[in-house]
Amino acid sequence: MIRIGAMAAKETLHVLRDPRTLYLALVMPVVMLFLFGYGVSFDVDHLPLAVADLDRSEASRALVRTVTGARELVSVGEADPADADRLFRRDRAVAVLVIPRDYGEKVARHERVVLQLLADGSDVMVVNQVLAKADALVRAETLRLAGIDLAAAAAPLQVKIWTRYNPAGRSALFLVPGLSAYILALTAVLLTALTVAGEWERGSMEQLFATPVSRLEIVLGKLAPYLVIGMLELLLVVAFGAAVFDVPVRGSLGLFLLVGFFFLVGMLGQGLLISVVTRNQLVATQAGTLSSLLPSLLLSGMVVPIENMPWPLQLLSRVIPARYLVHALRGILLKGNGLSVLWPDLLAVAIFAVLVLYVSTARFQRRLA
Amino acid sequence: MSTSRRPSAWVQLAAVFRKEVRQTARDPRMMFMLVAAPLIQTLVFGFAVDFTTDHVPTVLLDRDRTDVSRLYARQLLADGTLKRTLSAAGPDEVDRDLDDGAAAAAVILPSRLAADLGAHRTAEVQVVLDGTNPNQSTVAGAAASQYFGGVVERMARDRLAAAGRAPPAQLELMPRISYNPELKSPPYMIPGIAALLLLVVTTVVTAMGLAREREMGTLEQVMVTPIRPTVLLFGKIAPYVVIGFVDVMLLVTAGTWVFGVPIRGPLPVLVVGTLLYLLTTLGVGLLVSTISRTQQQSFLAGFLFIMPAVLLSGVMTPIRSMPAWLQAVTLVNPVRHYAELMRSCLLRGAGFGDLRVQLLALAAIGGAVFLAAALRFRTRLG
Repeated sequence: MIRIGAMAAKETLHVLRDPRTLYLALVMPVVMLFLFGYGVSFDVDHLPLAVADLDRSEASRALVRTVTGARELVSVGEADPADADRLFRRDRAVAVLVIPRDYGEKVARHERVVLQLLADGSDVMVVNQVLAKADALVRAETLRLAGIDLAAAAAPLQVKIWTRYNPAGRSALFLVPGLSAYILALTAVLLTALTVAGEWERGSMEQLFATPVSRLEIVLGKLAPYLVIGMLELLLVVAFGAAVFDVPVRGSLGLFLLVGFFFLVGMLGQGLLISVVTRNQLVATQAGTLSSLLPSLLLSGMVVPIENMPWPLQLLSRVIPARYLVHALRGILLKGNGLSVLWPDLLAVAIFAVLVLYVSTARFQRRLA
Repeated sequence: MSTSRRPSAWVQLAAVFRKEVRQTARDPRMMFMLVAAPLIQTLVFGFAVDFTTDHVPTVLLDRDRTDVSRLYARQLLADGTLKRTLSAAGPDEVDRDLDDGAAAAAVILPSRLAADLGAHRTAEVQVVLDGTNPNQSTVAGAAASQYFGGVVERMARDRLAAAGRAPPAQLELMPRISYNPELKSPPYMIPGIAALLLLVVTTVVTAMGLAREREMGTLEQVMVTPIRPTVLLFGKIAPYVVIGFVDVMLLVTAGTWVFGVPIRGPLPVLVVGTLLYLLTTLGVGLLVSTISRTQQQSFLAGFLFIMPAVLLSGVMTPIRSMPAWLQAVTLVNPVRHYAELMRSCLLRGAGFGDLRVQLLALAAIGGAVFLAAALRFRTRLG
């Protein structure tokens, strides 16, 4: 125990003597959270729309007013339908609404009119929103035209939509739990992989082995300071999220820390394993990126929905610990879930932690024998 | 007089270049991470990233259990945005399914729905959404209100017709989507992914490679040779420019073959754009290596640049969704311009004329960063 403490003290000294690493490790979460909170949102307003009004009647102008009157679509002026390609390429408009020549007449005769919407499909996310918004706005114009007629019939069916847990639909609430997983994976795997690989590179690992400290003690002592940094980061992210973006903590903080702890231990073990296998910082970085960062970002359900992935990737995501962490943190922070709901997640990260720590220590031992 | 004995700059450059290539190519793991890793990542990204939200798991509570309520439920779930995974017997069950994440949306059809509608009384349908994923809940909410909006309109029309009044004009929107009519994710994601991977590979590798030489003291050894710092710099960077181009070619080829990403624009645009972009990414790598002492630091510092650059690039989320001040910040982000260039050139077939803004921006940012890096590198060595 004393020897573990000594190892940990030595490692802490390493970190403290060069505080730049520490700054970077602690500044990064805040910068990332800030950017995620403000920068990452899928909801787009003020989409530039060009209008090709071939009718130029009172009725067509009214339609344009309805469609571009809300903040969602903004008119960037008149255009010829043939110009659509040029407008899209230069990013001047994301869609062109074409109003047919006989629009006014048909509306006056209560007929069916087909409006064309030429849309730039190169940005799938934006075009999906354009289609949904344009559809709703055109429907609104239909109702406005119908005005008195339909009002007389009264809306017979009402739809009430409630949104739970995150009524304002803010992206920050969605992203903070995912971000925690990402930051932890980043710090834990890469910092340990780099420090330990660095010791191999410089040959100081051999010196450590000449001391009476056992292998397991080296491993535990080396990991301890990074465990502390990781837990600090986790708390920092939640505190910052709560202070700046009003991310709630509805569940138990103890459970939150427990899940975070096991996840962190697993990630640290993974970093150790990488460093033992690669023994080279440059290669360790890439191995760490490939095996922990990318899966934590992509396959954890943090940003990209898992349900839409092809089944091999869905299967793969089941062995990614970040998936369980993200699910558990969302449950704890936003829904107030307790152990009764989240025990499978806790179990999964705990199993991963034990397994990885065992494998990496075994590898570590054999490497020296 | 010493200059006469020095080999010419070109010979020096070739020597450094050769040494750098040899060192990189000798370590197969290094080649793997420079060439194969980005390719693997592109494939994973291409298959994994699909932002289209459908099959939202939905729990249905039908308290009416009539033909009308069953018809509504069936039609609502028919387009696939909402997918029934559970049927609840009561409101408690709905709550539980939402709490434990078994369902992300709930549709509650009230008892007496058919009777109320038949008697011209107002009936209320409730849709409860799990807001933890706002993207998903927005789409699910839109799907529900769109369907019931249509139902309301049809009913109103029928009632007007029954009352013998002419129904109002009906507007119909017909979308025609260019470039990617099926709205598939890979053609949209892969050009952006190429920009991200190129950034990660080239920046981190230059930053860490130089920091490693400094750590091991080999940089000092090179400095006692007659090689001039500027030549050393270009010789060290040239192999990564080549690797960058190889990566872009591989990624675009993989995108075309595996995911059907079109190549509609002129290739010279891609070549010029990539070159200017590499100027920035390699410049940042250099700059980072001059300010950090160890590989660990240069990795973290490199990441501190990469992270915001990726998030504010418009690759993962639309730039138009950011607040105005942040949109202004993205103008100095080289990743944004390169991703736009790639996407616009490959998908929309944009040429030099259409992309002059992006090209100019890349040239300005790249030039400034590279100049700063080169100056710092020279003073550090000199």
